[in-house]
Amino acid sequence: MVIALKTMESAEEESLLGLESEEEDSELSDGELQEAFTKGLLKPGMNVLVEKTKKLVNNVEGLKQCLADFRRDLSWVERLDLTCLPAKDALSQVEGKVPTETNGGPDAEDDFQREMFFYRQAQATVLEALPLMKMHDINTRRPDDYFAEMAKSDQHMQKIRQKLTTKQMILEKSEKAKKLREQRKFGKKVQIEVIQKRQKEKKAMMTAVKKYQKGMSDKLDFLEGDQKKGKDSSGGPSKALNKKGPSAKRKYKDQKFGFGGKKSGKKWNTKESYNDVSGFKARVAHAKGGKKGKKGKQNKRPGKSVRKKMKGRS
Amino acid sequence: MAAFKRKRGAHATAEKTAKKVKFVVDDGNTEQDAVHEIVVPAPVSMGKWTNKERVLIFSSRGINFRTRHLMQDLRTMMPHSKADTKMDRKDKLFVVNEVCEIKNCNKCIFFEAKKKQDLYMWISNCPHGPSAKFLVQNIHTLAELKMTGNCLKGSRPLLSFDPTFDKEPHYALLKELFIQTFSTPRYHPKSQPFVDHVFTFTIADNRIWFRNYQIIEEDASLVEIGPRFVLNLIKIFQGSFGGPTLYENPGFQSPNLHRRQLRLAAAAKVREKQTLKEMQKEKRTAAKEDLEKDVTADVFLTPAEEKPALIQTEPPEPQAGKKHKFKPSKRQRQQMARR
Repeated sequence: MVIALKTMESAEEESLLGLESEEEDSELSDGELQEAFTKGLLKPGMNVLVEKTKKLVNNVEGLKQCLADFRRDLSWVERLDLTCLPAKDALSQVEGKVPTETNGGPDAEDDFQREMFFYRQAQATVLEALPLMKMHDINTRRPDDYFAEMAKSDQHMQKIRQKLTTKQMILEKSEKAKKLREQRKFGKKVQIEVIQKRQKEKKAMMTAVKKYQKGMSDKLDFLEGDQKKGKDSSGGPSKALNKKGPSAKRKYKDQKFGFGGKKSGKKWNTKESYNDVSGFKARVAHAKGGKKGKKGKQNKRPGKSVRKKMKGRS
Repeated sequence: MAAFKRKRGAHATAEKTAKKVKFVVDDGNTEQDAVHEIVVPAPVSMGKWTNKERVLIFSSRGINFRTRHLMQDLRTMMPHSKADTKMDRKDKLFVVNEVCEIKNCNKCIFFEAKKKQDLYMWISNCPHGPSAKFLVQNIHTLAELKMTGNCLKGSRPLLSFDPTFDKEPHYALLKELFIQTFSTPRYHPKSQPFVDHVFTFTIADNRIWFRNYQIIEEDASLVEIGPRFVLNLIKIFQGSFGGPTLYENPGFQSPNLHRRQLRLAAAAKVREKQTLKEMQKEKRTAAKEDLEKDVTADVFLTPAEEKPALIQTEPPEPQAGKKHKFKPSKRQRQQMARR
């Protein structure tokens, strides 16, 4: 530690003080301070302890001398060395990025920029060196039939190739998955729309049917609507029975008892089952047409309200 | 020569001369063979190999796997290199010079590992020349799967330097050292006549960055082969592994110091927090000052008027019960509404 003074000091005094302070680790004791004062080294004013700057060796002359001794003037072919700036980066120019190369080298913190700097330096060197090498008859490309040991074994290169392909595949898969997800979202929207449309149609159909039953409208337009579509698809008149094939009862029995196979999982809310209004019988639903429909049962059980009334009366 | 365990520093001269003799004899023999038999080809050099540059690459004990691989990679990349066994740390550094002499090498790359954490690299020109000590960081070896390039084993490299190397005298010296060490001599028997990779040395952030690229096409499309590392210059010496210091890097901070600083910073943080806590504690438990009672404060106090005390003699009236409230049904309500 050196006691620095506010006023200027000569180099000698500095070195002397430096020597003194290096002898002990702690601050100078009173005795030493008094001595220094008597010698005239300490001057009035504030004396502050300052770290002595370490003198670093930079023997420029020595370096140059050493280089001169050490240098071997070999022809360029032996050395194959080049010094050049990195090649111009077209992309960065287009983007308008200000390169930090003017500071002397790339920014070491920005990994990508740094690596690109090295890459471009190598590129510039190669471009510059190729004509020189051609002059000296040195090739960079070896002939196709020239097989020699490589720095990395074939096995290792296989591993690298495999890793690259797996990476590629993973990327592709993720891309596909993203697309699918997007599609599904879109598809879901479409599905919802279609379902809503169908529900509307069904509702309209049911209201039309009810109206007809209640006698509010004579038109059988709703039937015609279906028939028209049916006619167009089938083309030509055909017997009603044939059109429907085996009767519904037959079909039901077949489904339940015949043809073997899986019985469970047959009832699904699919498009067909949802749209299927064939199971609807107005007469059954509204308990109409008793004589025609059921001749066997004479004693028909009355409904709940009727029964209640009867109960209440009796 | 390698079979018996030799003592370092001994048998230097005898072996050197013996080797030279051997070499000459071989050369003569092969040439004669070439004349009589077509099968045995003449050596690649055919007497053209003049640049007798040999590099000794070895390390001290206590290196980890990464350093070992780096060493092996350098030996692969440089066909003019020789390997040696690990040096015991008990030996002084100038013993390395003797090892180099035994092996007939005029350059040396010596790796030194300290504390199993820090790696130092010495590059030196062995008999008298300059030497430099570096701290090696950010090592990536040939075997890393991200280094996808490949080159011929023993092909000659193209060396590429940053223009910054010409600006400072110490960098110029280092450049010369690198050129002489890393460039493969022409017509070296183990070398391939093609140039298909390039070493780049760049200066950034006061450090030297080393990269190795493979030249794929003539239009300079490159792929990295590896290895790659960063050299942080510590000192340049005039002699080999010793001698007067020519240059000291002012920006160099020893890794120990760096770690210490980190630890101190962390400790300082903790201490600050602790002191804060203590201060808060003291504040809470400190004796609180009693405020002086102001006599004039009572001047404007007016006592409230006294209210008569209400005494209940009779019990309160029962409230109408809400439980059995009669609520008419909907129909009845409708009927009532109609009426």
